[in-house]
Amino acid sequence: MVGLYFFSPATAALAAEGSVPVAAKKDDATTGLVLNGDAKCTACHDEGDGPELMAIGKTRHGTRADSRTPSCISCHGKTEKHLAKKGTVKPDITYGRKSTSTAEERSGACLACHQKDAKRSHWAGSVHDARDVACSSCHKIHVAKDDVRDKRTEAEVCFTCHKEQRAQVSKPSHHPIMEGKVACSDCHNAHGSVGPKLMTRDSVNDTCYTCHMEKRGPFVHSHQPVDEDCSNCHNPHGTTAESLLKTRAPFLCHSCHTTPHSSPQPAVLAGPAPAVPHWSNGPVITQGRACLNCHTQIHGSNNPSGLSPTPQRLFR
Amino acid sequence: MKIQHMGFNQKFLALAFLAAFGSAHADDDELTQLIKPDSTVVSVGAGTVSGDSKDRTVFSQYNGWRKNDASLLLDFNLIRRDEATGFWTRAEGRNIGLDNRELRFSQQKQGDWKYSAEYSELVRHDPRTINTNLLGAGTSTPTVVNLATPGTGSDLNLDLKRKGLTLSAEKWLTSNLLFEASFKNENKDGARLSGIGNYCSNVIGSLINTCAGTTGALLMLPEPINSTTRQFEVRLNYSGDSLTLNGGYYGSFFTNANGSLTPSVSGNWGPFTALEPGPTLGGLLTRPLALPPDNQAHQLYFAGNYAFTPKMRATFKVAYTHATQNEDFGSVGLAGAPAGVGGLGGVMDTTLAQLGFSGRPLAAAPKLSVNANWRYENKKDKTPLAAYSDNGVAPYTPGLATNASRSSEKANGKLEATYQLPDNYRATLGVDYAYVHRNRPVDSATIPAASFTALREETEELGYRAELRRSMSETLNAGISYGQSKRDGDQWLQLVAGYPANAINAPLGTAPMTMMDRQRDKLKLSADWMPTSALSLQFMLEDGTDKYSGPVGKGLHDSGMRSYGVDAVLTLSDAWKLTGYVNRGEQTLHMDHNAGYILALDNVNTSVGVGVVGKPSANFELGADLSYMDDSNRYNQSMATGAAIVDGLPDVTYRVTSLKLFGKYALDKTADIRVDLVHQSAKFNEWTWGNAGVPFAYSDNTTVGMQPNQSVTFLGARYIYKFK
Repeated sequence: MVGLYFFSPATAALAAEGSVPVAAKKDDATTGLVLNGDAKCTACHDEGDGPELMAIGKTRHGTRADSRTPSCISCHGKTEKHLAKKGTVKPDITYGRKSTSTAEERSGACLACHQKDAKRSHWAGSVHDARDVACSSCHKIHVAKDDVRDKRTEAEVCFTCHKEQRAQVSKPSHHPIMEGKVACSDCHNAHGSVGPKLMTRDSVNDTCYTCHMEKRGPFVHSHQPVDEDCSNCHNPHGTTAESLLKTRAPFLCHSCHTTPHSSPQPAVLAGPAPAVPHWSNGPVITQGRACLNCHTQIHGSNNPSGLSPTPQRLFR
Repeated sequence: MKIQHMGFNQKFLALAFLAAFGSAHADDDELTQLIKPDSTVVSVGAGTVSGDSKDRTVFSQYNGWRKNDASLLLDFNLIRRDEATGFWTRAEGRNIGLDNRELRFSQQKQGDWKYSAEYSELVRHDPRTINTNLLGAGTSTPTVVNLATPGTGSDLNLDLKRKGLTLSAEKWLTSNLLFEASFKNENKDGARLSGIGNYCSNVIGSLINTCAGTTGALLMLPEPINSTTRQFEVRLNYSGDSLTLNGGYYGSFFTNANGSLTPSVSGNWGPFTALEPGPTLGGLLTRPLALPPDNQAHQLYFAGNYAFTPKMRATFKVAYTHATQNEDFGSVGLAGAPAGVGGLGGVMDTTLAQLGFSGRPLAAAPKLSVNANWRYENKKDKTPLAAYSDNGVAPYTPGLATNASRSSEKANGKLEATYQLPDNYRATLGVDYAYVHRNRPVDSATIPAASFTALREETEELGYRAELRRSMSETLNAGISYGQSKRDGDQWLQLVAGYPANAINAPLGTAPMTMMDRQRDKLKLSADWMPTSALSLQFMLEDGTDKYSGPVGKGLHDSGMRSYGVDAVLTLSDAWKLTGYVNRGEQTLHMDHNAGYILALDNVNTSVGVGVVGKPSANFELGADLSYMDDSNRYNQSMATGAAIVDGLPDVTYRVTSLKLFGKYALDKTADIRVDLVHQSAKFNEWTWGNAGVPFAYSDNTTVGMQPNQSVTFLGARYIYKFK
């Protein structure tokens, strides 16, 4: 239970009169309503003034037994004018849509502590940092449950800016993002990384391998664009083509392979199915699994045989 | 900002009085509820979905509602915190009654130590249904049985189930030193659609014309999956005033219980007739198909950042990864390895280095910030070369055709400067650079077997961009950016078997899109506008084009994308809020093929959504979301010769409409009733597995299909109890 034991009446009276610069007083870490040393702030902003603000007490920030946890001024600044002028001017650092604090100021308050975390070691210079996305653009601090830290609701926060991905995740071939089983943060570290596109690991492929390790090889017969970057062929957010392919085979394959199977044009069955599929039939390179009907091991084959169906053509 | 309820002086005096003479017991319960996290919430109920499983294959790929018409809805969440010690206990269960259930448990003494365990299941139900006579589907030894007439076999649905266990722990050794460890184990079990095909022809080349006759065949053979991935990571983090460092080990291990897939055939039919002379096509199709081999990687890394000044910081990372693949061919049923070669002996060593600087480097120019980054990756493929395609058929002279070496170097850099202009405008100029060097996979004596491709050993891309944005306005934030980059490279090599091993030949037209010359232009505009305190609007427009140029004018020609949309939030009152969005995306792709066709692919995606959340009374909450998406793909095809298109490709369209409703009523302070209703209607008009009523049939008459029009309604009711 948290009692209302603030500072002494004498101090309170002096502070109220403004005869003692409030910021000059040292907060006592053992006092406060919600956070350590929050007395100056909760004297006004208490459960009657802003009950929704109190929920910070339910979070790690409000775990007062942990001496590292912040006080109000850790994030909002010392706010001397705000205190001296009884709230008629804003605190030094504010958050939310109407904030006039710079992104650097807002994130700086968080990074003062959270920069220490290895997962945020590459925040500086990251694309979010450089584009003035502040921590508070995504995180809510005064709530018991931050939407962006729950994989069922995280994507909606990301879609605030990433509109194209919002449409893609609803396409028929997609990762289970809207189903709440895969979160954006499973692949992207929004706090900065060494990999491109804020990949959680050092490259696109290394990130994909965390779940799709069977594609890593190395294989006896590899496929060069597969080794180079999975996103050469796949759009991981969602596609209408199967298997998250950016475009259907054969067109995706023909983006590189313009010479093989020189005679047929892509076509679909318009009459009875041929008794014998023929590679030079348009439908066999277009329908079903298209090129992959025969080149089934498109990510690489570890078959040492040189016999037909030839593994070097990724047939088996 | 909320307005305080009472005057500053009065409030302080009152609090001071209370501080001196006692605490406010009357408010304790209310305050405790506001600031203490302790809660135990159990949600139990039942849900049901309409129709049969074929009505909901799109809806229920992952959400656990494919097979069951009704199911238990059970979730729980427990949180406890000891205020005196900062000791947390959390336990959570989600979707306990479904096949995508999750369980999580953690304890920590905040600021000291922490551990957690998580168990998760996920089943991916392939939305398509297979009709076949195949026996042993999903095993490594299936038997193909011919089906007299397509559609008269048994229905087969392929599922892939993942079961994951994650354990993690951390301990603060000192106030500056944190040790972290994590282990994740995931089992994958099931099958996915795959197959094998071949064609006996001397058209492609003699290397595959090892069967008699002129027939081809395709077989549907689900790939059996029974594999495990394991990831283990330990890390030590140091955090000082200016310097943070972390170093660790990351190991990842893949093991596959199935090394190969070897089908057999029942009966004499089609390509499997006894009349086929010599090595039959049927005989070739029953040769083993290699499945993903066991592999592992070990990484050591060292990373962190350093603050030169409060306004200038550097980031860095170095990492070394040793990846291997040593699967023994014979033990997994794969024959034909070169003499004396038991396994590939694959070794790939990767070195990564990154260095970045960002901040304000000049005290005299505090409005100037600079951001620079350099990343270098060197992959050394140390796999020994062996003659894997030594089949004795020209042009594969024995000892000549080998596995490929995939060594490469990549470098990426960027340098950007941002200047703070008056009126909260910020201007950025940036330069980006990318370099790839691919080792030429040949030497004076050998050539990789899979070498029907062009190669550019080096490609370089240089781009610039300019951006102007206005921020920190209470009513309008906006930005505009434009960038252009150009990629080119050195000479094209054509590594075609049959040519002298290291010859440089005029490319025949196979030009990988990743190596072609490319000019990329990109424009982006965005704006956040709050015309009133209740209404906020967000506008976005993005336009980009890629123009490609290959060695012979064939292949990818250009691609484009355009995306634009508006989002709106209207806050009607403290209790009611409306949201809405409309987005449209367009993508184009143009290519020329040596076969003579010219493709113009257009994809247009339109998505619209509206939503409302409200609280009609103190006890009642409700919400509704209605969304619609139309995805249309047009495959415009023509022949460069002017000849007519034969059996051209119809449009592919996917339209989905979703309505989600929920209502939650508080019975009292400890119990709620929640009802959810979801309706989804999906229409998928495509030709992948059939067109105009004609199914695409495998050689054994196996067919694959999906109900094109699907409509499903989910109704769920839950009783939510919050234990005191």
